[in-house]
Amino acid sequence: MNPERAVGSKVVLITGGSRGIGRATALLFAREGYDVAFSFHRGTDPARATAHAIEACGRHAFYRPIDAARADETAAFVTDARDELGRIDAVVANAGITGSLGWEGVSPEEWRSIFATNLEGQYFAVRAAVPDLKRTRGAAILVASIAGLTAQPEEVAYAAAKAGTISLARSLALALAPEVRVNAIAPGWVRTDMTAGLYDEPQARAAIVRGIPRGRWGEPEDVAAAALFLASDGARFVTGETLVVDGGNSLSWRIGRQR
Amino acid sequence: MFDLGDSVILVTGASRGIGRAIALELARGGADVAVHYHTATAAAESVAAEIRTLGREARTFSADVVDRERVQEMVRAAGEWKGRLDGLVTSAGIYRGPPFEEVGLEEWDETLRTNLAGTFWAIQAAVPWLRRGRHPSVVTISSVLGSHAAIGGAPYQTSKAAVEQMTRALALELAPDIRVNSVAPGFVRTDINRAAHEDPEFHRTVARATALGRWGEPEDIAPAVRYLLSREADWVTGLVLGIDGGIPLR
Repeated sequence: MNPERAVGSKVVLITGGSRGIGRATALLFAREGYDVAFSFHRGTDPARATAHAIEACGRHAFYRPIDAARADETAAFVTDARDELGRIDAVVANAGITGSLGWEGVSPEEWRSIFATNLEGQYFAVRAAVPDLKRTRGAAILVASIAGLTAQPEEVAYAAAKAGTISLARSLALALAPEVRVNAIAPGWVRTDMTAGLYDEPQARAAIVRGIPRGRWGEPEDVAAAALFLASDGARFVTGETLVVDGGNSLSWRIGRQR
Repeated sequence: MFDLGDSVILVTGASRGIGRAIALELARGGADVAVHYHTATAAAESVAAEIRTLGREARTFSADVVDRERVQEMVRAAGEWKGRLDGLVTSAGIYRGPPFEEVGLEEWDETLRTNLAGTFWAIQAAVPWLRRGRHPSVVTISSVLGSHAAIGGAPYQTSKAAVEQMTRALALELAPDIRVNSVAPGFVRTDINRAAHEDPEFHRTVARATALGRWGEPEDIAPAVRYLLSREADWVTGLVLGIDGGIPLR
């Protein structure tokens, strides 16, 4: 453990923390007084920038490149993060990837890769942190997607993996109760690098907004706030739940201004 | 975080139990609170007094929510207090638990009119005031028994299932301006179920069935309501959030 650290600051561990929802979550938790450990896959520059932003909040940052699909790298990251920052109060299992479009063209390798990063990676991240979470009576938050609640003919593997995440949150919630709470967040269309291809295309961007009752794309901060709530003492009686953050997108088959 | 600074929020059924805990939590978040109650005047006044000691304003409003006109008058009075409402929490509710075959018109009517119709008319009456509010939103109170079955209290369970669908329907219809969400508490120790949680055997049964190993307290429910009313939940609507200690997981 780093002896320089002030004893007692809470620590959040985030997979996929250099960009998008993971980055916004890291910064929000840092502003709320957490030290932050985060993993990233590619792109050292955004990771370094996220770490600097955490430190600018006066918090400690620990970050490392890992392949979130690999259990061994994930477990080593969790162990080293705990050794460096002293404890783990919350895990946000956020690392995720999408695949190519179309229901027919998913190769076995792509299928396995999507499941390994999105679903297995969450299981191994939480599992590695369980002893620490039990000590702090902490919380795990799995980032799912409304793709896991709805039909996604263009992205069958991603949607199935995200449905798996929602199931995983329930099973782990019961397995780890009463010491550790486990919940999922199901974001809708959030403006990140993952969705930039659609957001940057005016017609696609507008078509998506028409599907969102709140009338706007989500921002990563919308999801980060939900994660902060679920990690907080205010959510002490919430476990096994899925908090949908989608501007109402999944409420109906055709939203929009039906009037 | 989850700051409700200077908002005006009406909480129905706020004199006791979950509604009371919500009213106090919203005041701690910076809200002025319109405290609705039915008959417990002294309890409502004490909630209002406690809110004032937190440095916020409070005023009490009485109405029987089974009566549509009384609800409309009460909501209008609460709206006129500050000329707007930024939030509405519909916490007024009752439980009657006779076996199904003994449910009479009185239990049915009282339950559905209080829990379901009372919620519906309160939201309808509040909409014009919410439209004058800042970042307006509504939080209804459902129950784990709105989506999971138990033996006894079928009218109650029916009313809460309906509240959940009302929440989703209104989230869509009142979008994009007004958000509508719900919290679904599990077994929470309040006056509504005092007989149940004071029965030692039932108390143990519920605690054992709940993943987190205990009954809920009203204070466990309130922070989620505060989050849902806050600007940080600006992109959350139509959500029914269970706050039940994981009881449906078993």
